[in-house]
Amino acid sequence: MSGSNLSTEQLAESDGAELAPAADASPSILSAHGIGKTVRTGDSDLTILDGIDIEIKRGAALAIVGASGSGKTTLLGILAGLDLPSRGTVTLAGSTLTDLDEEQRALVRGREVGFVFQNFQLLASLSALENVMLPAELRGDSDARAQAESLLARVGLAERTSHYPRQLSGGEQQRVAIARAFASQPSILFADEPTGNLDTKTGSTVIDLLFELNAEFGTTLILVTHDMRLAERCSQQLVLDSGRRVS
Amino acid sequence: MKPALVLRMAWRDWRAGELKLILAALLVAVGTVTAIASFVDRLQQALLSESSTFLAADRVIRGSDPIPDEFVRQAHEAGLETAGVIAFASMVFAPNDDSALVSVKAVGAGYPLRGVLRTALEPFGDSEVAQGIPPRGEVWLDSRLFPSLGLTLGDSVWVGVEELKVTRVVAQEPDRGGGMFELGPRLLMNIDDVPATEVIQPGSRIGYRLLLAGADAPLESLRQSLPLDPVFEWQSIRESSPSIGEALARAESFLLLGGLLAVLLAGVAVALAARRYTLRHFDHVGVMKTLGATPNSITSGFVGILLSVGLTAIAIGLGLGFALQEGVYQMLQEMLRAELPPPGASPFVLGTVTGLICLLSFAVPPFIHLRQIAPMRVLRKDVVDGGPSQLVAYAAAFAGVLVLLIWYTGDLTLTLWTLLGALSSMFLFGGFAVLLLRGSRNLGMQARSGWRLGLAGLQRRYKTNVAQIMIFGLAIMLLLILVLLRTALLEEWQQQLPDDAPNHFVLNITPDQVSPLESLLAEHATRQGGVYPMMRGRALSVNGTDAKEWESEHGDRSVPGPGIDDERNITWSDSAPKDNRILDGAWWPEGDARSLISLEDEYARRSGLSVGDRIVFDVAGRTIETEVMSIRTVDWDSLQPNFYVIFSRAALADVPSTFMTSFHLPMERKPFLNDLLRQFPTLTVIEVDALIEQVKSIVDRVTQAIELVLALVLGSGVLVLVASVQASKDERVREHALLRALGATRSLITVSLAVEFATLGFFAGVVAAVGAELTVAVLQSQVFGLGFSLHPLVWLLGPLVGACLIVVVGMLGTLTVVRTPPVVVLRSLD
Repeated sequence: MSGSNLSTEQLAESDGAELAPAADASPSILSAHGIGKTVRTGDSDLTILDGIDIEIKRGAALAIVGASGSGKTTLLGILAGLDLPSRGTVTLAGSTLTDLDEEQRALVRGREVGFVFQNFQLLASLSALENVMLPAELRGDSDARAQAESLLARVGLAERTSHYPRQLSGGEQQRVAIARAFASQPSILFADEPTGNLDTKTGSTVIDLLFELNAEFGTTLILVTHDMRLAERCSQQLVLDSGRRVS
Repeated sequence: MKPALVLRMAWRDWRAGELKLILAALLVAVGTVTAIASFVDRLQQALLSESSTFLAADRVIRGSDPIPDEFVRQAHEAGLETAGVIAFASMVFAPNDDSALVSVKAVGAGYPLRGVLRTALEPFGDSEVAQGIPPRGEVWLDSRLFPSLGLTLGDSVWVGVEELKVTRVVAQEPDRGGGMFELGPRLLMNIDDVPATEVIQPGSRIGYRLLLAGADAPLESLRQSLPLDPVFEWQSIRESSPSIGEALARAESFLLLGGLLAVLLAGVAVALAARRYTLRHFDHVGVMKTLGATPNSITSGFVGILLSVGLTAIAIGLGLGFALQEGVYQMLQEMLRAELPPPGASPFVLGTVTGLICLLSFAVPPFIHLRQIAPMRVLRKDVVDGGPSQLVAYAAAFAGVLVLLIWYTGDLTLTLWTLLGALSSMFLFGGFAVLLLRGSRNLGMQARSGWRLGLAGLQRRYKTNVAQIMIFGLAIMLLLILVLLRTALLEEWQQQLPDDAPNHFVLNITPDQVSPLESLLAEHATRQGGVYPMMRGRALSVNGTDAKEWESEHGDRSVPGPGIDDERNITWSDSAPKDNRILDGAWWPEGDARSLISLEDEYARRSGLSVGDRIVFDVAGRTIETEVMSIRTVDWDSLQPNFYVIFSRAALADVPSTFMTSFHLPMERKPFLNDLLRQFPTLTVIEVDALIEQVKSIVDRVTQAIELVLALVLGSGVLVLVASVQASKDERVREHALLRALGATRSLITVSLAVEFATLGFFAGVVAAVGAELTVAVLQSQVFGLGFSLHPLVWLLGPLVGACLIVVVGMLGTLTVVRTPPVVVLRSLD
């Protein structure tokens, strides 16, 4: 295990106790330095991200904006530990993600990170309740069901717990997805175009809910969006253009 | 991942219908194998016990010296049943001084150990099962002896110096099939009366037998422990009655091949179902990974789901398999006559291991691949998931199949030929399918008509479709192979046992009786075979060396068959017998003046003889020098008179001989035998109708088993088709939902789907017909020892059945989607 003083077992067994002091000691919950991503396409290399630096304080909200193909989603994936950069380092809640393997990154994600996706990514074979229970179940929590029921009630879907995603509207699906994101009690929430698949009215309802819960749980928020009005509700904005940070 | 969560995940997947196909495929694999193995197990027991009646025992020790008491003692110690038999030829005298040469069989208590002895109270009358053996002082005689000796029941006869009372008619003995030509008319007596007859003198030709019955293990260990060689010979059914042995061996091969194909098909179905499951779970796993599931927990979770499904399938499959074979057994019990012991544990072990290997080699590789799914794919669909999974999956599947099949059949040749046939056909016709589909690539969707849309769809997805043609082709091919082999086997048996096969043999015909006998038979019997000269002879020396010495130096004792210096029936002939095939040398030209012989292949190998060897024979007391002119095969299954040694006419010109012939006589005309024997009292008539009926009943039974196996394999084949259609369903559904959203009518989609499936089925049928023809040709010659023949019907049926079958299965699998509004389909696929 290169560059980390934690074994996989320690990570698996710790419930944040070992990481928490490090996180508390850190001035920021997420820091990224010199992030670059290059992929091979045919005979040539394509640079998607180049030299990105980010520092985010606990409880802050960051909007990543930019045109299509500017590298927003790739950057979000790297910051959340879903993918590795070609260059640079990412430190999330005290863990240097770029030094960990997938097994260890998954443990960090399970403990620290929540996600909301543009296309909701609810599991079609699971009911709304079961979708929300999943993060707690994966952690091995015994009260997964109670937590999920209270979260669904919080997002206004107490009556729809046994419904499957195909029986829910887009707005309802996204509310289930938000409930699921907070079910892992994340310290940082990543949202990829959370209103991209919703009409304006439903979109703004969902965003209101997202920011309410964010404040309620004291979560740090990082979201990717085209929507400048949404971006302006965040405390920080990062504008990308062809893989470079322009502001 | 915790077991409770794994079970919860498995239940959720089951509820969503994701696991049903895997479960069904595994159920079929385990159920089919268990059913076939249990049924074969019980059938083998039935066949063997039935076949054992040909020996009247499970095993026999025979020799020309008395069986040592030590052998009997050891057999009893091993918990085996025994019965002694002494056989010899003797003259029997009637009160009116008529006499006849008879085959005496003196039997001890317990005879027969297997099968039944039937006796009657009048010659050629209705028989019943005898209780016990002739009491001391009594004999039971063959029907034909009564007219020839002018006897009635209650008369006395003399065997040697002992007077014995005739109390019954011997109608049927179980162990008569052993070597039909050694038998004269039967005289059955009690073994304890033999010494009093004083017939056995030093130098007499006597056959001693010890009949043994019991379980296989003690029998085999007894065989190992007794000092049999060189005086005593150990006999089991396969050695003693080649015609039954062959039929059994072929039937076993066929049943095992059937089971093997069922496993292959079910394995393919498991692989397809597992692949579809994992493809549909890529996003699922991506989401779980974002929620903190580690690669290890993904592996333990999904392999856990698979195991829970697998173990459930194995448990239910074992039960289903048992129920299935029990049902078939109940149906056939009437015919099986005997109560069979329940199947042993081995079929269930086999079923369980089949299930586990199917799981491990077909399903686990794609499941393990799930751990490599990149979590990033939840954000970007274009993320490629790495890993060597395809190669690993194919290698694992191949290894699994190989292990399973070799273990299952215990026959490397059969397994390798089948796999080779299947694989080479797949590769050859995969290329063929690519050419067919890519040949004339059309542009766009071609959505103007259902026909064009269907055909264009085939070409657009040609990679998937080539794979599907190969899988459909494989399934149809395996089914065709089985149908063809079944037909070939049954036809072969039918040919060997035609309804008018000779069922009576006449021996001891003097030269002046030949002509009047032929006219009598022409009048009363249905069919008469040829007339063969027959005499007894044995080899004295080979190339100047004593025959026995030559055999021990040059011969191969592992080849079954008689020893070189055993006295046996010989004949002369101008032409080679019809069913025989010359392996080495050539048949002599008619009228050749040289003294030549032709030898049966196994006899020649056992005694170390080849073309050009000079052998001296003793035939009826005369010494005859001969040269081996040819080596030939003999079809022992044919139930025709067959000879190990055939001489040229010139060699035996001066030797007086009797003749033999054969004829068919239906049951209702049996009394004709009385007239025949009254007219020709010196003839010996051997009735083999009971033997032929017995062989026929075995063949019928095996046929039933073959039909069952065929039905089970058909079930597996259809399952593969369903699994394959399901595997490609998602892509078709997405495309057609889009087309409907864009305004395509239901009928356009329905026609295009039908065209697509029919074309796929047709091509698969072509591939299957070619593959089946090739594989069957190889299997027939290499495994079943049958001749090669083309099957034009397959060329018609393959493509036709392929097209119809795939259309039905395909349309049933996708029609629900055509009926569902496109918006629902599109939303559920999002």
